[in-house]
Amino acid sequence: MRYLVLLYDNEAAAPEYGTPEWDADLAGYAAFDELAGDAVVGGEALHGSATARTVRHDGTSVRVTDGPFAETTEVLGGFYVLEAPTLDDVIELARRIPVVTQGAIEIRPLAQWIDPPTDSPAPEGTTRYLATMHGPETAADTPNSAEWDAAIDAHQAFGEIAGDAIVGGGAVHPTSTATTIRMRDGELIVTDGPFCEATQIVGGFYLLRSTDDSVMELASAIPVNDGGAVEVRPVLELD
Amino acid sequence: MVDPLVDVEGVFRAESGRALATIARLVGDLDLAEDAVQEAFATALSHWPTSGVPDNPGAWITTTARNKALDVIRRESTRPKRELRSVRESLDDTPPILHPVADDQLRVMFTCCHPALTEESRVALTLRLVCGLQVHEIARLLLHGEEAVAKRIGRAKAKIRQAHIPLRVPPPELLAERTPGVLECIYLTFTEGYAATAGEQLIRHQLCDDAVRLARLVAALEPVDPAAEALLALLLLQDSRRVTRLDDHGEVVLLADQDRSRWDHDLIAEGMTWLDRAGRHPTINAGAAAYLLQAAIAAAHARAASWEATDWPTIVANYDQLAELTASPVVQVNRAVAVSFADGPGAALPLLDALVADDRVADSHTLHAVRADVLHRLGRIDDARHAYLAALATATNEPTRQVFRRKLARLGGTVRPT
Repeated sequence: MRYLVLLYDNEAAAPEYGTPEWDADLAGYAAFDELAGDAVVGGEALHGSATARTVRHDGTSVRVTDGPFAETTEVLGGFYVLEAPTLDDVIELARRIPVVTQGAIEIRPLAQWIDPPTDSPAPEGTTRYLATMHGPETAADTPNSAEWDAAIDAHQAFGEIAGDAIVGGGAVHPTSTATTIRMRDGELIVTDGPFCEATQIVGGFYLLRSTDDSVMELASAIPVNDGGAVEVRPVLELD
Repeated sequence: MVDPLVDVEGVFRAESGRALATIARLVGDLDLAEDAVQEAFATALSHWPTSGVPDNPGAWITTTARNKALDVIRRESTRPKRELRSVRESLDDTPPILHPVADDQLRVMFTCCHPALTEESRVALTLRLVCGLQVHEIARLLLHGEEAVAKRIGRAKAKIRQAHIPLRVPPPELLAERTPGVLECIYLTFTEGYAATAGEQLIRHQLCDDAVRLARLVAALEPVDPAAEALLALLLLQDSRRVTRLDDHGEVVLLADQDRSRWDHDLIAEGMTWLDRAGRHPTINAGAAAYLLQAAIAAAHARAASWEATDWPTIVANYDQLAELTASPVVQVNRAVAVSFADGPGAALPLLDALVADDRVADSHTLHAVRADVLHRLGRIDDARHAYLAALATATNEPTRQVFRRKLARLGGTVRPT
């Protein structure tokens, strides 16, 4: 079983890039990666929410705006894709991710995923972007429904348009299967449901390789529900 | 002659939880187990009227459900061959007549009470899968619409399936985190059974029995959880009074009027033992302390040879500590009752007047009834009458409403039927 593990934190309180606090934070994640080992199937850190742009599908029109899908104090700072047999096992891993003590971690079972291509050289001038899908949840978000099958066709069509630009992604189960965990005063708090209903991911996500100029055009072609949106954030390349 | 239809329902209530737990262990899948048990009962419904009810209906249901589950697994071509073989072997190894295994039900219980499910879902799911209640019964118990309950249960089961919530008793290192949710659910099940919130019956014996049985299972787990011991003590001590709480006509008998010689003294003794064990742990957390204090209060009542001999100052002291642990206004109402007997009704009235202004209990029939009793004892008959009317207006359980009608009749004056 694969899970999308979303890391939410208060950006204002997070350490600044390049500072000793940043290094300490990074060391915490390195320790987690070592502990989790093969369970870590994927994961990326993201640039701040100020770098976010959003494609909004308002009925018939498609609009690109600056800024995230919804303004919140705690924002998505990164994610993992973890492989674990059960929810208990993924919680046991996720409770060791550093952000759990200040922010929150949302755990979403993945229904399908796209493995990143191996050893394909990145075209010069390109970088990776996380494109997350948001908006109203419909029957198309329930695996194995007729609507879901139709949505798969739409995503396959997008796959043909995007080609090699798709370097990862996954479809999540409905938000009703989400679990959020926090650690406060050494005590694990587990709650049913997504971390924040205003920003919840509906449908899934893509990792896209593109340029700053063309990524939004690509993201505009991602099929979403009516009234839905796609938020695009550049990945923080740590290597 | 007993109508076989009624019997199947009775067997369902008594046996479906156990059968489901056993099948769930064998196939590792709650949904498949539930479907198989439902099918087994459907078969019973069509066979028993002509063949008669078998001697051991529970074992009959479990065996039939096991075979149905096996059929489903054999039919399913999507399962990997190796997995199919291992499940089939485990099923074929099982003796044809199965006996309920305590561990099986604990496993289902921990899954139903997983922290990744909402508290409301946990209770509804436990009542459905562990206690074998039908959706309409759960709806009536929890005072929710049938559709809402069905949806809640469906959603919780979908989450268990899609998010892979495991069917297991958590390993020892996780028990401390997971047990509180299970205990809370058992507590709510017992409370609902002991004083049903609505309907014609005050006591739902099956829920009380199930809750006590489950509490025993959790209290027996290692490592020992003081909260589990304290909860078991509390339930046993409360339950010891069950048969005396209703008279021959099904009307409520208040604690003051109960025939204490008919209290179940074996249960009291057992409850005292568990209370003693729970109290011996050098440190306990707030959750355990809350059950422990409630059990201590129940024990004080159990020890009193008569209503008059009740040690009210000790009970008030216990409520004082309990009030420090919980912000629950219900605790404050009960504390006021104890104060009214320890220090007199005059001391309790201001406490109760303050609570009437608290939105959380303003609609509680218990608060109004307690206040009415205190006013009555203070000789304020008119005010007492008004308070009983308020209690009658807010109570939804028929035997409880009957108590208030009787009290009103004794106070004289006009009683408006509601």
